[in-house]
Amino acid sequence: MGGPSWLAWIFAGLMIVVAAYCLTRLAASWRQHRPTDHRVDGIHVLMGVAMAGMLVPRLRVFWVGGWEVVFGISTAWFAWLAIREFRGQRTVGGRPGHHLQHVLACGAMLYMFLAAATVAKAAAGGSGMSGMAVGTAHVPTLALVLAFALFGYVVWNADRLSSLAPVAALAARAVPVPVLARASTGGGASFAAADGEDAPSTPGPQALAGRRVPLSPRLAVCCEIAMGVTMGYMLILML
Amino acid sequence: MASQAADARARAGWLRGIGAVHEESWTAPGLRRRLQLVLAGIWLLDGVLQFQAFMFSKGFARMLVATAPGNPAVIADPINWSAKIIADRPTATNAIFALIQVAIGLGIAWRPARKLALGASVVWALAVWWLGEGLGGVLNGAASPVNGAPGAVIIYALLAVLLWPGVADRAAPFVAGRFTGANVARALWLVLWGSLAYMALLPATRAPKALGGMVSGMASGQPGWLASLDNHLGAFGNSHGPAVAVVLAVVLTLVAVSVCLPRPAARAGIVLAIVTAAFIWAAEGLGGILTRGGTDPNSGLLLVLLALTFWPLGRAVLSSTGQSDAMAATRLESPEGA
Repeated sequence: MGGPSWLAWIFAGLMIVVAAYCLTRLAASWRQHRPTDHRVDGIHVLMGVAMAGMLVPRLRVFWVGGWEVVFGISTAWFAWLAIREFRGQRTVGGRPGHHLQHVLACGAMLYMFLAAATVAKAAAGGSGMSGMAVGTAHVPTLALVLAFALFGYVVWNADRLSSLAPVAALAARAVPVPVLARASTGGGASFAAADGEDAPSTPGPQALAGRRVPLSPRLAVCCEIAMGVTMGYMLILML
Repeated sequence: MASQAADARARAGWLRGIGAVHEESWTAPGLRRRLQLVLAGIWLLDGVLQFQAFMFSKGFARMLVATAPGNPAVIADPINWSAKIIADRPTATNAIFALIQVAIGLGIAWRPARKLALGASVVWALAVWWLGEGLGGVLNGAASPVNGAPGAVIIYALLAVLLWPGVADRAAPFVAGRFTGANVARALWLVLWGSLAYMALLPATRAPKALGGMVSGMASGQPGWLASLDNHLGAFGNSHGPAVAVVLAVVLTLVAVSVCLPRPAARAGIVLAIVTAAFIWAAEGLGGILTRGGTDPNSGLLLVLLALTFWPLGRAVLSSTGQSDAMAATRLESPEGA
């Protein structure tokens, strides 16, 4: 009992749009040296493509078992970052961030792929979301718990949406609000602290970079929300 | 001061993590806002559940029609009329229903739209209570605390009113009373839990094997642990049904009056309410969500949330949450926060 195919196409289309947009964020960040969270945008590209492939089998672009490895590693990586964050230490990319929701999202992806593989084996050839939903998920209660947690993060993100400055407001500011600390290293989020603890003390390339406008934080959160709702839908289908 | 600085740093980390650089316009949600967010999450879950395949079938319309029998014609006729429309166009109507519920959830969560969304949720909930739940079975004698009476969706509307972000809050010892005033909120609580106590004594619950049959019936299609729990509860209900119904009625009455008692007793009453609501939710089979046929989480979860809104607060907590909500409202009115 999977969802209607037209609905799967709509959600898959939404995920492709999100993945494409996050890819352009990465490209724009690289070309224009505009700050963004590379890790989050990168994982959104992967998740968008993976979810589109799960929803509509024709959109699959990866080998069987490949996504499990990708999201297994991603879950472990974000978990490690989250642990470092909780300990108040620096992360690899230079800035601590709120990684727990990405641990959750990657874990949910891993769960869905593992459950789908189990059901596909049982159904001998079932594929895609409809095939995945033919049988019961391996641990349906876990799917529900994950869906609850994802919806929690969706509303949490939506609550913060209005407090994020639009790009136009950021561009109009005379003072350098976000300071690009390690753009050249290219690793992860790269904002210097607003309280100045990491702000460069002398003007130079970093100070110039500080005047560059970050990529839209609002749209980044909108991507999180779209991903969360879609992932929750897929988990509900797997109950 | 040190903890405030730590909080600020934590928020800064989160915001920077998502590329945000506008930390000063964000205030941590106060207690009422947090409860609104929980309500938003439940609405979102409700909306996504509506996207399940079953809801796009004619079976959904048949489920709605089943709520009409036993109701007066003035109630039943509109139910049959709306169910016919849904049966004729199941895909379009259900897609609209699901989108409305998702929009309500996201709207409550998005600060600029929260009043609009809460208002819409009241209208939507009242419509669904009538046309989708047959007024929760209150008028046809089928209502029971363990089958979702007085209708899960009416509790959504009640929560929206009690958690309404008013311009000027009233002094109240719990969050639920800050918009309506403590006495009105207490009256609503008394009516709700008192009616649940009354329904526990009606034949639909108190008759021999009625309670047990109802709970056992929830076990079908559930995962092992929940099926086992419901089967055990059902078996106990079958053997001690009338006595369990009376005990349930007494407990629900205690819960109903607890909000009028001094703070320590009121807190004990709210804890009892949460435990009772959790028991009801388990007896309801979590609203059938895990059977792929649930349209919503049913009343148990919402009763837990409702109980939390009545949690008696200390003076310090009261003033700090009020301040936090007021700050959030002020920020929203600023051009950048809006």
